[in-house]
Amino acid sequence: MKPTKESELNLSGATRYLDDLPATEGMLYGVPLTSPCARGLLRGIDASAALALDASVSVLTASDIPGENQLGEAVSDESLLVDGEWSYLGQCLALALAATPSLARKAAALVRIVYDELEAVTDARAAAESGSFILPSRTMRSGDPASAFSRCAIVVEGRVESGGQEHVYLEAQGAIAESLEGGRVRVVSGTQAPSGVQRAIARTLGLGMHDVEVEARRLGGAFGGKEDQAAQWAALAALGAARTGKTVKVYLNRREDMNWTGKRHPYSSDYKLGLDAEGRILAYEADYYQNSGACCDLSPAILSRTLFHAASAYRIPNLRVTGRMCRTNLPPFTAFRGFGAPQGVFVIECALDAAAREGGWDPVELRLKNLLAEGDSFHFGQPVADCRARRTVDRTLELSRWTELRAEIDSFNSAHRLVKRGAAILPICFGVSFTKLVMNQGGALVHVYGDGSVSVSTGAVEMGQQVARKIQVIAARSLGIPEGLVRVESTRTASVANTYSTAASTGSDINGMAALAACEEIRGRLLGLAARMLGADKGELRIESGFVTKGCEITELAWKELVDKAHLDRIDLSAHGFYATPGLFYDMKAERGSPFAYHVYGCSAVTATLDALRGTYRFDEAFIVHDVGESIDYDVDLGQVEGAFAQGLGWAALEDLRYDERGRLLSDTLSTYKLPDLRFMPSAVKIEFLEGAPNPKAVMRSKAIGEPPLLYGIAGYFAILDALRAVDRTHPTKAPSSAPYAYDLPMTPEKALDFIQGVRR
Amino acid sequence: MQKNEAASSRERGIRIRVNGQWRDFALGDDLSASTTLAYLLRERLGFTGLKVSCDEGACGACTVLEDGAAVLSCMVLAVEADGHDIQTIEGLPADDPVVEAFAEQSEPGFGTALQCGYCTPGFVMTARALLNANPSPTLAEVKEALGGNICRCGCYAGIARAVLNASAKIAARKAGAAAPGGRA
Ligand code: FES
Ligand code: FES
Repeated sequence: MKPTKESELNLSGATRYLDDLPATEGMLYGVPLTSPCARGLLRGIDASAALALDASVSVLTASDIPGENQLGEAVSDESLLVDGEWSYLGQCLALALAATPSLARKAAALVRIVYDELEAVTDARAAAESGSFILPSRTMRSGDPASAFSRCAIVVEGRVESGGQEHVYLEAQGAIAESLEGGRVRVVSGTQAPSGVQRAIARTLGLGMHDVEVEARRLGGAFGGKEDQAAQWAALAALGAARTGKTVKVYLNRREDMNWTGKRHPYSSDYKLGLDAEGRILAYEADYYQNSGACCDLSPAILSRTLFHAASAYRIPNLRVTGRMCRTNLPPFTAFRGFGAPQGVFVIECALDAAAREGGWDPVELRLKNLLAEGDSFHFGQPVADCRARRTVDRTLELSRWTELRAEIDSFNSAHRLVKRGAAILPICFGVSFTKLVMNQGGALVHVYGDGSVSVSTGAVEMGQQVARKIQVIAARSLGIPEGLVRVESTRTASVANTYSTAASTGSDINGMAALAACEEIRGRLLGLAARMLGADKGELRIESGFVTKGCEITELAWKELVDKAHLDRIDLSAHGFYATPGLFYDMKAERGSPFAYHVYGCSAVTATLDALRGTYRFDEAFIVHDVGESIDYDVDLGQVEGAFAQGLGWAALEDLRYDERGRLLSDTLSTYKLPDLRFMPSAVKIEFLEGAPNPKAVMRSKAIGEPPLLYGIAGYFAILDALRAVDRTHPTKAPSSAPYAYDLPMTPEKALDFIQGVRR
Repeated sequence: MQKNEAASSRERGIRIRVNGQWRDFALGDDLSASTTLAYLLRERLGFTGLKVSCDEGACGACTVLEDGAAVLSCMVLAVEADGHDIQTIEGLPADDPVVEAFAEQSEPGFGTALQCGYCTPGFVMTARALLNANPSPTLAEVKEALGGNICRCGCYAGIARAVLNASAKIAARKAGAAAPGGRA
């Protein structure tokens, strides 16, 4: 591949992320003082010692907020600075400002607070018992599960736990706010949702949105963590700028970021699955207890995605699934790639695993028997259309030589006592679109400059997913010019307004379509002019590789000349484009509708080798067949599958997020929170895109790619489980019949060892 | 007495060669005994290519070369670098084989070597150090050497591949240079 401009900049160290922007004259640094325990009542703040530290120090509290002291959008339960009761450890109470970051940290540490510690709850089920919920529970049903269970030959029931996950975007959260004349502010924010940040600042400062300009430059990773939770750092910086008239920077260090910001929701769930004697699923029930943390944040939307993906890629005629948003005293859990789907998918996969053991079925056969197919409907009424479940699973079985692989593993396991191998496959089916209808819209602004170069602005934020690259390709193809002529700008609220977060994998679907609409508008005007210049019919003209073509012949009329002439003729060379995903509707009351534009299918197979003495394991191979529609950029899409798979595998087997019972995060550094590295990843990862599978429902027949492949990592959990079950009874330390039935993700080596030794069942 | 101490500490200083240029720093107001090399390079000299992501030696994003070997600049005190030769990513030429290999990385099945790019400078410098010491590593050696670097975007396959390709480039340039009339 020809290296892109962006990657060249990166490789010379020249890309400027937020923290790399040079400090400006007189800039102040803001460091929040946060709550010392999980729940408490603030009685007073004494900043005198902090103020005595240095002349540059000032300390802002809730009473300094000129507008509304509130960030919560769906539910008003999240103050910017606490005034009264706080509900998690790490909540912002005050903001210390000073001339250097270290002075500001010292100042924050010197602020004294008077408070009462209140009783806190950290466990989701405990919160549910005491009736502490964010919003009322939500239930989706289809068919009649109660009567269907009575017809089942086999019914399995149990509990499933899945842990949280820290985003660890390598670039931490932060913002820089500059105070402008007339009380206006301009903010650079590390956010996936510039318009959301703009709204939060306008609200807290009591300004109009037009007084607040927000820019998101390239982010050093986000993964959902900067969707809702970037707003408070930007609002704090803006508050500092508004109160002092200076530029204020807030940039968290790793430990602060890990302690103060939300993560993937931990879930505790109950399932009940019933099948007939042939292994066909007849009925399924699940109750999800989502640990939502202390504030609403995006929990309702995340829960709805769990419910929508409760049946994953399987046909379930009778179903009842209920989700509860349990309010606890942990930092508000938030969006993380997958957005609730992984938690729901894990539960049905555990239920199937239990059923396969109970019924003595082959796990792959059982899944194949129940796989979604054309003509089925999802439990919320949307018809299954253009279904690629069977195709991707069949191809995965072929690619992995599944039958031989299984036989090899079984014979390996009978020949080895202390080392065991395991394997699992996992089909996926992921709905694309924001489940909140209003969010499925986006805009773009395209300028063609007099020299023929092109600038494209959209609402999409570049955070490593290469949405800028895709939009560049889309614009260049639409205008018929070399990609090098197209520049995709950073995301600014003054260029494109009222955008929604770059999330739900829809970044290029929505923004790419908006950019395409704007480019087509300009192309139409230019071709009209070309038709007049060439005395041709507009319909037979195109622009290709920078020249106007007529039929199959290339004319002399070059792009630059055409643009030049258009300008002389006073033709508008700018256009705004807009896109709203068509065909979406949902009736919240009936829990019926078509909330997704389309679904993404795929399948993974993962193998693992377990050291049955130590509980340690390694992943050997992974095979993935993924439905990407027609890829806009092969390298980008491949990278998205790889990266999402790595994060999924980390969630399933490695990343161990732990709080103590008083709500203090124990894994709050990268030395205590292990992440996938080069050695953790399987030695061989084979990824194949499903061939001949265009998607008429999205830009350039592609499919969204960001989140779905994260689910593939769940196969890693079951591969280890499979190996654990091969640990035989003659094992020196293994307790009899301790084959694990308890489903508790992540499957860390400690847990694997507990299973082997019978500590865990 | 206090005044004298302050004066003498200001006279004390350190010299570090950064990207080929010797730099003098006086111990005093803006450089203390606890200033890290990462801070010095980023905040004093503006070499912001290296990133401080964990500030505790656990992610590799701040890796630079000290006398050709990889060090985590968040774990090195500036005073410890006194008299040493430091190289940051800004100091690598655009045709450095590692830089080139990372930029070009694209092969069916492997993916690119960077996505958000935040880990990239650290990976490049770690790889550079590996190839300084061992110009033709095996895949296992690459994994071992780069095992302390985190890429949260997960482009590990592309990164490992880029390092092997960089190694091949080094060999090819050597062969080219050795051949009569050959060009590097
Ligand atoms: S910042 Fe130095 S190792 Fe992470
Ligand atoms: S490219 Fe984003 S962390 Fe490596």
